[in-house]
Amino acid sequence: MLRAAWTVALKDLRLFLRDRVALAMSFALPIVLATVFASAMAGMSGDDSVGRVEVLVEDLDGTDASRALVTELQSSKSLDVEIAGDVRSRVSRGKAPAAVLVPSGYGADIASGKKPRLVLYRDPAKEIEQQIVMGNLVKTLYRVAGPAIGRAMMKRGMESMGFPAGMREAAERMADAQAAEGDGSSENPFDFAGQGAEVLGLEVEDVAGGKDSGRLAAGKSHAIAGIAVMMLLFGLTACGGTILEEEQSGTLQRVRLTPNAGPSVLLGKMVFTMIVGLAQLVLLFTYGGLVFDVPVLRAPGALFVHSFAVAAAAAGFGLCLAVLCRTRKQLEGLSTLLILTMSALGGSWFPLIVAPEWFRTLGHFTLNAWAMDGYQGILWYGKDLAGIATEVLVLLGIAAATGWVAWRGWRRRFERLA
Amino acid sequence: MASLEIPAAIVVRDLVRTYGQNRAVDGLSLIVARGECLGLLGPNGAGKTTTIRILSTLAAPTSGSVTVLGLDPLRDAKALRSRIGVVPQEVALYDGLSARENLEFFARMHDLPEPILRERVDTALADAGLVERARDRVETFSGGMKRRLNVVAALLHGPELVFLDEPTVGIDPQSRNHIFELVERLRAAGTTLVYTTHQLGEVERLCDRIVILDRGRTIASGTFDELRRSVGRRIGASARLEVGGRGAEAMVALRSAGIEARLEEELPDLEQVFLTLTGRALRDEGS
Repeated sequence: MLRAAWTVALKDLRLFLRDRVALAMSFALPIVLATVFASAMAGMSGDDSVGRVEVLVEDLDGTDASRALVTELQSSKSLDVEIAGDVRSRVSRGKAPAAVLVPSGYGADIASGKKPRLVLYRDPAKEIEQQIVMGNLVKTLYRVAGPAIGRAMMKRGMESMGFPAGMREAAERMADAQAAEGDGSSENPFDFAGQGAEVLGLEVEDVAGGKDSGRLAAGKSHAIAGIAVMMLLFGLTACGGTILEEEQSGTLQRVRLTPNAGPSVLLGKMVFTMIVGLAQLVLLFTYGGLVFDVPVLRAPGALFVHSFAVAAAAAGFGLCLAVLCRTRKQLEGLSTLLILTMSALGGSWFPLIVAPEWFRTLGHFTLNAWAMDGYQGILWYGKDLAGIATEVLVLLGIAAATGWVAWRGWRRRFERLA
Repeated sequence: MASLEIPAAIVVRDLVRTYGQNRAVDGLSLIVARGECLGLLGPNGAGKTTTIRILSTLAAPTSGSVTVLGLDPLRDAKALRSRIGVVPQEVALYDGLSARENLEFFARMHDLPEPILRERVDTALADAGLVERARDRVETFSGGMKRRLNVVAALLHGPELVFLDEPTVGIDPQSRNHIFELVERLRAAGTTLVYTTHQLGEVERLCDRIVILDRGRTIASGTFDELRRSVGRRIGASARLEVGGRGAEAMVALRSAGIEARLEEELPDLEQVFLTLTGRALRDEGS
């Protein structure tokens, strides 16, 4: 019995080792996905390779105190500070994840020991970046404004809450002692950030995301768009695979025997694939709008045009793969490998902002990243067609390039006489 | 050559087609007259399918010349495709479409105008004996029904020349007989036919002339009788006498003339027995 079992096992191993698709799915795909995730997560855990977070600063005060604050912010290793105007609008349009507005009177408030007013404009979709910005901002503010503000705020707070004088004095002494021991910064700015912002006079305003401003809405928009793009690629690759099905069943040869064979057949496949893709996107975004309140009607024209470009790029990709593969089985294996990798790299599974800069750059070699950028621009930032023109053009370029490769492959394989 | 005075449907001269070291067709020459039904016979690998692929614009010759309906299949592929029909060896239909949808699709790919298209599709469905099942998906059809549909799908555009590549493989006698009758109607209408099969009886029944290929070359050609004569001298003659007729008298007369004669009972072959017992009507209930 053991000998028979071994014989069966050996036969199956032999078949398995000869099946390159099965080999790739079993060994290459897990390695690729593990690499992608590990690289992305390295960014989330604060790896040094994470790019600096861009922060816009608009100084309306123009005093020594406000300039000191800006200089201190610029010295932060985690922040890439740019002095700019109209910062609120720029954050709302997705140009930067956050901006600090230093209003007039900031310097005077510092001088008089009052809580200075500062405004932080945020894009809630970029949650990880907000944590980095907030942590660094609070730390900087505390360092610049000095413990005096903290003490004054604490004193006023305790007075308003009716603490007895003895307790207030004890608290002040403790604060002095703590200030004398350290430089006022926290080892963990993230823990400090949550409590310190308000005390230091920081007003936070989320300026992106339309009416449904908030992290949850950003997450929902991303999830729907991400799944839509990934499933589109799977769906349209399967549509492209009908070429291989037809080749195997003999119907493709029969079609080739008609006077209309040639470009019209591939074009017909492209049209069919795009119709299916657009229908798939419309269905998923309608569902997202109805069930998850994804703001699909913020810019419907832009959404349609972008979806058309995404469907065209995905259709080109699917046809390209189908023409390059010899069999349906080969197509299924290769497409799974490529689509999962592209989805992970291109931000279909998680926002690329959590990933290091090099990862984001790499991700933009996939159509997923451009598709996701466009969808986030429309759904989250309310961009119109002009606002997503770059993404649409890149996607149409991908469609043209993959379509051209598919056409070349088609001609080589089906048009040229054997 | 005398046959060239009337333009031939197919003229092949010194046709060679190689695949690597393998010479699939090796110096084949062939002429098929218009309206002729040519049986192309040969064992597997003889070069039949490659020859048909070249003649029907799907493959290029390595050397030699080919003219089909006066056109070069390489240069005039598009024009030629509208004048020829090919019944492929495998059933090449869309299983998920109905019989009518399949026929309409192929008719449209041949640019048939809509009114003519509907008429041709209706005729084709009738020819295939599938009027009742026109709206049913092909995946629900029996092998015989698929084969019949496979044949008529190649005839929608009224081709002048039809290649039939083993059109009756693996089907029931009723469907095979139905296809024979269809082919005979095409012949009667003057359509040129090139028929390949391993069923020698089919060739004997349907074809005017037979070409036997082996290793990419023609090893014999002619009518059935010519081929029979070519492999040996006739050593006897036969006469068909009706049962209850004057057979016994004929035998006596022959013997008295010094001719050796035998009276043998002629029995039907198995297919004739089967069709007699089960009838010639199509059986399409099964799927």
